Amino acid sequence: MTAPATGRSLGLLVCLQCRATVRAMNLRHPRCPRCHAHLFERKPHSLGVTAALLLCAAVLYIPANLLPVMYTRSLLEDERDTIMSGVLVLLHSGSWPIAVLVFIASIVVPLLKIIVLAVLLFSVWRRSPRLHTQRSELFRVIDFIGRWSMLDVYAISLLVALVQIRSLAFISVGWGALAFGAVVVLTLVAARTFDERLLWDTAP
Amino acid sequence: MPSVIVCPSCDLAHLRDSAPAAERTRCVRCRAPLLRPEVGHIDAAIALAVSGLVLFLLSNLYPLVVINYNGTTRSTTLIGAALGLYAQRHLALAALVLITTVAGPFLQIATLLYLLIPLRAGRHAPGQNGVFRLLTQIRTWTFVEVFMLGALVALVRLSSYAEVIPGVALWSCGLLMLTLAALTSQTSPEQFWRWVEQRRT
Repeated sequence: MTAPATGRSLGLLVCLQCRATVRAMNLRHPRCPRCHAHLFERKPHSLGVTAALLLCAAVLYIPANLLPVMYTRSLLEDERDTIMSGVLVLLHSGSWPIAVLVFIASIVVPLLKIIVLAVLLFSVWRRSPRLHTQRSELFRVIDFIGRWSMLDVYAISLLVALVQIRSLAFISVGWGALAFGAVVVLTLVAARTFDERLLWDTAP
Repeated sequence: MPSVIVCPSCDLAHLRDSAPAAERTRCVRCRAPLLRPEVGHIDAAIALAVSGLVLFLLSNLYPLVVINYNGTTRSTTLIGAALGLYAQRHLALAALVLITTVAGPFLQIATLLYLLIPLRAGRHAPGQNGVFRLLTQIRTWTFVEVFMLGALVALVRLSSYAEVIPGVALWSCGLLMLTLAALTSQTSPEQFWRWVEQRRT
């Protein structure tokens, strides 16, 4: 079987902004003739940039889970909540579907996203010639679910905005929430800088 | 001469039929969407953007939730979530929430109206290309649907301590979420450039 015709083998570039297919020009910094976005055969330094962002996300995942994300002060009690203890509070208050939802969105999804992106990067680095379709599917799934991790950040921001009854109850934000937000942003940007086409460059 | 299109997800080259695609076509190798069919009229997109603008204003003028805690009531609007974080000097987090829930939806609607209204009259808005690139960037940073679910989680957590009353903005925010989803599918980059090219000839 002969190698399939690709944009690279035919000397064609595709604009990732407006999806126009363009003949590769012999320029240092070609731009799309239709929308003037920068054109490149593969996203520049995709592997290195994605790996760096992923490493930052993996490091920040630790304080995101260990530091308190929220402090509650009321007449009766003083509480500090991490992401996990927030899940447990929900579980004990009897709303287990919500507890499961928050657990998946806040703890499982970011971790899964970091692991899957790391595995994909490693497979590209090793020039793995197998499972192109599955790896490509995997990338699309984690790219799609990543944004749902913001769930707890929004819930906390609303609690902070609402519970400000000075003498009775007062909720403030903890630094864990910032670390958590940073993890979500970093993994989102990492998925953007990763060039999916790298997965297919070893296809027969 | 048959034209060639290249899959943006796996770089495979496809020969393109001269007939316009009737349905969504996918890449034969990686199954990524390749061509989206002609979906709707430019007027429909403008109408959706205008209704989105109205829903956006409602979401920021009326309370999202009202809580009643021992006789004290507190309420917040859509923008209130970001402002609460700002008041506690968590600037980075406030900026993140502001961009993804307030600035994102607003800029999406505003840039589309800025681009589509002149286009409908056969003209190009000044800086059209740059503004459209900005729009595609903003789309990845708009999380209204996640915010809605976050609001639900916050309501459940509060309901055991205080009386929680859903506000008008909760409904308008839900509708805004649906409108933005419809608007995004109606104004895909392919569709936008099709409108531009139709008006050039």
